[in-house]
Amino acid sequence: MTEKLTRIGKLVIGRRRVLKIAGGATLVLAAPAYWKKLSAQEKRIVVRDPGGPYTAGFNEAFHEPFKKATGIESVGVAGQHEPTSLIKGMVDTKTYTWDMALLSQAAHDQLVSEGNYLEDLKIDTPGLRSTPDHFKSAKYAGNDVFTAMFAIRTDHFKGNEPKSWADIWNVKDFPGRRSLRKHPFDTIEEALLADGVPGDKLYPCDIPRALKKLDAIKKDVAVWWTGGAQTSQMLKTGEVHICTTWNARAQAAIDEGAPVKIVWNQNLWSSEGWCIIRGTPKADMCREFIKFAVDGARQAAWTKHVAYGPTHPDAFKHIPEARAKQLPTYPDNFKTAIRADPVYWAKHKDKVTEQFEAWLLT
Amino acid sequence: MTAAGRRFGAWRAAWPLLPVLIFLGFFFLYPVGQLLWLSVEIKGTGALTAMHYQRLFASTLYVKVLQITLETSAWCTFFSIVGGYPVAYLLATTSERRRNNLMLWILLPFWTSFLVRTFAWIVLLGRNGAINGWLQALGLTDEPLSLIYNFTGVMIGMTHALMPLAILTMVSVMEQIDANLPKAASTLGARGGQAFWRIYFPLSLPGVAAGGLLVFITAIGFFITPALLGGRLQTMIAQVIITQVQDLMNWAFAGAVSVLLLVTALVVFYLYDRALGMSTLAGETPSTQGGGGRNPIARLSAWIGGHLLGAIGRLCDIVSEAYERLVPRPASRPTREWSRGVLAFLVFLIIFFLAAPTFFIVPVSFTTDAFIEWPPKFFSLRWYDTVFVSPLWREAIVRSLLVGVLSASLAMVVGAPAAFVLVRQRIMGKTALLALVLSPLIIPRIIIAVALFYFYARFGALINVRFIGTSLGLVLGHAVLAIPYVVVTVMAVLKNYDERLDQAAGSLGANPVRTLWHVTIPLIRSGLIAAFLFAFITSFDELTIALFVSGGLATTLPKQMWDDALLKVNPTLAAVSTILLVFITGMILAAEYLRRRALGRSSAA
Repeated sequence: MTEKLTRIGKLVIGRRRVLKIAGGATLVLAAPAYWKKLSAQEKRIVVRDPGGPYTAGFNEAFHEPFKKATGIESVGVAGQHEPTSLIKGMVDTKTYTWDMALLSQAAHDQLVSEGNYLEDLKIDTPGLRSTPDHFKSAKYAGNDVFTAMFAIRTDHFKGNEPKSWADIWNVKDFPGRRSLRKHPFDTIEEALLADGVPGDKLYPCDIPRALKKLDAIKKDVAVWWTGGAQTSQMLKTGEVHICTTWNARAQAAIDEGAPVKIVWNQNLWSSEGWCIIRGTPKADMCREFIKFAVDGARQAAWTKHVAYGPTHPDAFKHIPEARAKQLPTYPDNFKTAIRADPVYWAKHKDKVTEQFEAWLLT
Repeated sequence: MTAAGRRFGAWRAAWPLLPVLIFLGFFFLYPVGQLLWLSVEIKGTGALTAMHYQRLFASTLYVKVLQITLETSAWCTFFSIVGGYPVAYLLATTSERRRNNLMLWILLPFWTSFLVRTFAWIVLLGRNGAINGWLQALGLTDEPLSLIYNFTGVMIGMTHALMPLAILTMVSVMEQIDANLPKAASTLGARGGQAFWRIYFPLSLPGVAAGGLLVFITAIGFFITPALLGGRLQTMIAQVIITQVQDLMNWAFAGAVSVLLLVTALVVFYLYDRALGMSTLAGETPSTQGGGGRNPIARLSAWIGGHLLGAIGRLCDIVSEAYERLVPRPASRPTREWSRGVLAFLVFLIIFFLAAPTFFIVPVSFTTDAFIEWPPKFFSLRWYDTVFVSPLWREAIVRSLLVGVLSASLAMVVGAPAAFVLVRQRIMGKTALLALVLSPLIIPRIIIAVALFYFYARFGALINVRFIGTSLGLVLGHAVLAIPYVVVTVMAVLKNYDERLDQAAGSLGANPVRTLWHVTIPLIRSGLIAAFLFAFITSFDELTIALFVSGGLATTLPKQMWDDALLKVNPTLAAVSTILLVFITGMILAAEYLRRRALGRSSAA
């Protein structure tokens, strides 16, 4: 008998076939191999990273050599931006999708101050000892430095280039389309620096003063950006001529031949580092990983992929000069750098975010 | 029998509601309820507080953002319906072959990810973008126009994303309108305008109501498109909630904002229901026909609606008559052809709008450049190479297709029976039930994602099943989001369904199951396909829940795209979108071919 065909629009699906598909799907769902517990394997840790080029860089720098050296398999997985909520969830429910994570210091501070969500590192290696103090804490071992700066289109400014935060506000001498971040982080500091607040007096931030300074430029900001990929796109296409961003994003446009220049003067740096998620049964394996990773030569290896600065001072011995000059911790670039204070923000970001959002809408 | 007894009887007949109630109760209501509870509890004590709700109103910020969100969503709904109606009308009234061809074009935007589409608009609409380039080359403008980073940009992006939803919902209802009714009106003396506005349009209203509702509720939850295409003033409430959850870890306050959003959306829904007759959808007599509804708002709106439609109809006729007097038409071209021509042109413009980003994506995928840019620099296959070489992309595509099909099937199995009850049975609390079914679309996804994570972890440990990091958790989570689309779409088609057909089948000896399988389902198939498609796309394009539940271990396509676009949006995404486009369109065409062949064979036999 010919199977009677139900016409489901353009698709021909016999009714029996529907049942067969449904049955097949159930089998797939039930197949134990498909659902096998990833973390069940003995010597395996899952390490969160921000994804994209990080994953490739960390594979080369850490994951592959680490497995060879110790037999422990470390797997890098990309997790969402600032995954504090997810880590809190993992600890609260003891469900360790990840064992450790590369976190921004701000995320680390939050996970420590909101509750006890990270494990003590209890590591003492030459690598960690020679890492400068501002890149580490009891639960945090710095890996890289990223920096908020601004980039300009050199084809637009032709010689008369903005050189400081104050120049962004100087619409008369430096005409051009501007873009700032639609977020109080960095933007508040940038306004204060432009207003003449010295770098070492930035914190605690004078919010009313910052908002007043931002008032002066409000109508001249062509684009308020929200995501990093947006800034590299705008710099590449010339949608805007001055754009605040993170250095690796501007570098992505430069690497593709866009006439873009990074202005390092008074850049605002922050760091990212290794943290172990509290309660993971594999904390000791994670410690092995961190001991392995905090090392100059190994950090140098990922700088090929990601244009952020290594935290270990020896790393620059292993990085070609041309690349080194593009990194935030290169001595010339780091000279005037100011630390974006994660402690200040951990305490005040709730209120300041509200004030900033309200300011935007008026 | 007493009134209460009757209602109880009706509830007994309402058993098909059970799956949806159990499913949503389990995977939505309970987990999300627990999270929202945080907003009224003093941290960890169990004592109650209104603190977080006071904060909502202490600053004007949240009310203002809510207002912006509702306004943006309302405009987006307006444009989607007004733009989508002519397309749906043409689709419903044209030949089947043409309808199938047109449908391919309308579905095009569905197969490119939201991230790719949004970046396509950024490049198309930017100051140095394609559209400004053409305008200036044609000498139409001297200066580049500001098409994005403002309200215009948000409207273009959101309407583009949501109009197919409106079109498909409306088509499935319009297809069931008896084409003889407007003809009958004409023979009774109504001119084209009157016949359309007084007869056809009111009959298509359940589709408009359902499409409008789905678009509006979906639009409320948008944040990526407004964030990337909007300016200083386009802050949506979903963004505020995400900041509270992710950056500030203030779940209690995020819960309070979500409750504010939920309550407002439900109030809007209630008013909409009363005034525009969402009850048309829920199976009561359409207010425009009866006008004798119990509540005065409905009666008033029915009166206004009836007169308004009459007036529009008259106006159309006066205009067309005047036009004909000015430009006498040749006898060989009847009016109908003339108005069809206008319609076809309008539809062409709208389809062009829907397909534009896709047209743009295909050439960009062959660029040698590492950015998505216009004009693309030809010719390179490196981005296709990246996709084909990497097991990650392949795995992501396969998993997304699988999860999409499974979660859509689950949503259909759970949601469609509920739609039958909601349309056909008179039961108490129908509006409340509908509100419950809609709420997964209103509650921000990040809240659902956090709630599901906790629920999965605890429930999974209890029954020793792994939900986190597996596709199972993803399928269940996506089904929660897809159910509202299924229920509303199926309700809309059932509304116009002539139940006498079922009764006829029954009187000829078919049992209810056979009637359903052989009569009802084939007749409402286009609504079922639309529902399945919406459900599939919801899953196929979903990122937030995927990030939380999979923890990065089970990669889906949106996650892989998002991951790849960390530093810059590169043409790999365009290549993946093109591959999907070709693959899915090819599948649809192949199915169409097979169907034709099967039909040909059966008619030959």
